[in-house]
Amino acid sequence: MSPPHGHPISRVVLAILALALVVLPWLLPAQGYVLRVACLVLLFAAMSQAWNIAAGLSGQISLGHAGFFGAGAYTSTLLLIHFNLSPWLGLVFAGFVGAALAALISLPTMKLKGHYFALATLAFGEAMRVIANSWGSLTGGPVGISVPFAEPGFVLMQFQSLRPYYYIMLVALAVTCITFHRIRTSALGLRLRALKNHADAAASLGVDTAVAKLLASTASGALIAMLGVLYAQFQFFFDPDTAFSLAGVSIRVALIAIIGGVGTVAGPLVGALLILPIEEATNAYLSSHAAGLSQMVFGAILIAVVVLQPRGLLHLWKTVRR
Amino acid sequence: MEFLQAVINGLLIGGVYAVISIGLTLVFGVMSIVNFAQAEFLMIGMYVGYYGWQTFGLDPVLAAPIAFAIAFVMGLLIQRFLIERVINAPDVAQIFLTVGLLIVLENLALALFGSEFRSVRTGYQTSALSIAGLIIGVPYLIAFAVSGVVGILLWAFLRFTWIGQAMRATAQNSVAALSLGINIRRVRQVAFGLGVGLTALGGSVILPYYTASPTAGAQFVVLMFTVVVLGGLGSVLGAVFGGLVVGVIQSVSTLVMPIQLQNLALFVVFIAMLAMRPQGLLATR
Repeated sequence: MSPPHGHPISRVVLAILALALVVLPWLLPAQGYVLRVACLVLLFAAMSQAWNIAAGLSGQISLGHAGFFGAGAYTSTLLLIHFNLSPWLGLVFAGFVGAALAALISLPTMKLKGHYFALATLAFGEAMRVIANSWGSLTGGPVGISVPFAEPGFVLMQFQSLRPYYYIMLVALAVTCITFHRIRTSALGLRLRALKNHADAAASLGVDTAVAKLLASTASGALIAMLGVLYAQFQFFFDPDTAFSLAGVSIRVALIAIIGGVGTVAGPLVGALLILPIEEATNAYLSSHAAGLSQMVFGAILIAVVVLQPRGLLHLWKTVRR
Repeated sequence: MEFLQAVINGLLIGGVYAVISIGLTLVFGVMSIVNFAQAEFLMIGMYVGYYGWQTFGLDPVLAAPIAFAIAFVMGLLIQRFLIERVINAPDVAQIFLTVGLLIVLENLALALFGSEFRSVRTGYQTSALSIAGLIIGVPYLIAFAVSGVVGILLWAFLRFTWIGQAMRATAQNSVAALSLGINIRRVRQVAFGLGVGLTALGGSVILPYYTASPTAGAQFVVLMFTVVVLGGLGSVLGAVFGGLVVGVIQSVSTLVMPIQLQNLALFVVFIAMLAMRPQGLLATR
């Protein structure tokens, strides 16, 4: 699933699609529910793509990306509260924090495979949540923190209309997709693919598997931490249990990529386009009946996809078409 | 003295950790599946204990066999219709099938039972024995004793019954077991049912000093994995050892750091264990 290059028809389709994405917010109410969901689709597609850089390319399934994401959200918001630093600069700091954390957790875990790696990263994400909850003097603890309200404007990344948020998320998604694509087609991408398919063989051919994994993981951690900043500015309020959520962030970003197709550019886009609207719809229709039902649907979809086609819907579609 | 008291508290609670984690290690040993949803059966066991007490006035310890039976049947069905399909699938499919189960079970409980914290009242809840200056809480002692009995029963089951022996054979070499005429699909079903049943049993047993809620299981996920990784994934005896060690680590860590960070100590031990000795502390390799 590489993006179409030379083929003229694909190019036209891609151009029309891009145009539709740019025009879309002007066809919807500026503060409406649908536009809000569209923003979340773009944000989660980007988060999932960031996860895809580490997990999709190297095959190391992380269940702890909430650790980087939450750290990013807290970094920029705390800098904004205490030093009145613009979230745009907060993005840079969050990126460094995410990269540093990713490098830190890579050191003890990079030799682990499969289940063991998933377990270790799960513990990392949960540890971050516990730290954020108990380090109240820094994070405000379980009560959560709010982004201080300011005059709407570009400098502090606060807007009344949802349209600027939409474009920010769209750019973020484009950046993560391009990063994913460039890494995948680079020499690093080839090394990652080699170690994903056969780690020992790759190592014996001179691939420095440790460095390759470290680079992919650092890029992935930095990007999702920066997306945490956008989340904070979009939501205005969050607490440790939502920003570092296992089900809400770590599992969800992985699920989106898996449903679409792990390791492909389009996978996270397809997954997010499918999952978030379904979640929102079930939330709207079922939550009045009983709490938890929409999340149950989310889990059931995950089980169904894994049992029917573990390689994702893109693959399912290809096999059906054949 | 304070230290000794912490160690004893840790051992008492660690005995229960051992029983709830044996199920996880048993499933891994027999079919090489890491069940991320295992802790959800602890939560289910807690609710069985709670409703047994609330509806029939049954002591949660006496409701434990019912919790075992319900989880056992659920386990048979889940193994038969879901897990069996990914037995030979890549890791990612296995991980996300059980992660999906975790989400479904947790939210099913939320939909059925609501988000309230539920606890039981028993006559012995606040009683304690005082031996040589050390205080031993009666509910902890009972839970520990039940865990010990269950552990011995499980040992006898694996050692002396045909299906128990078949289970150990399958864990050692499933191809050889199959060629000897063992129905390994049946063995896997029983192993999975037994595994989640033991965890549910533990959930009911700890209810006198715990509160049931839909997220009660999630709080035990990392703990249970720490137990089995300490003892070596797949080793039943290792889980007993790991359970006691984790209980003591948890209990002693509260002497030197605030109680909210109790789990953090566990996470650090867990990641360090995975990084340095993923085969477990007891393994000779």
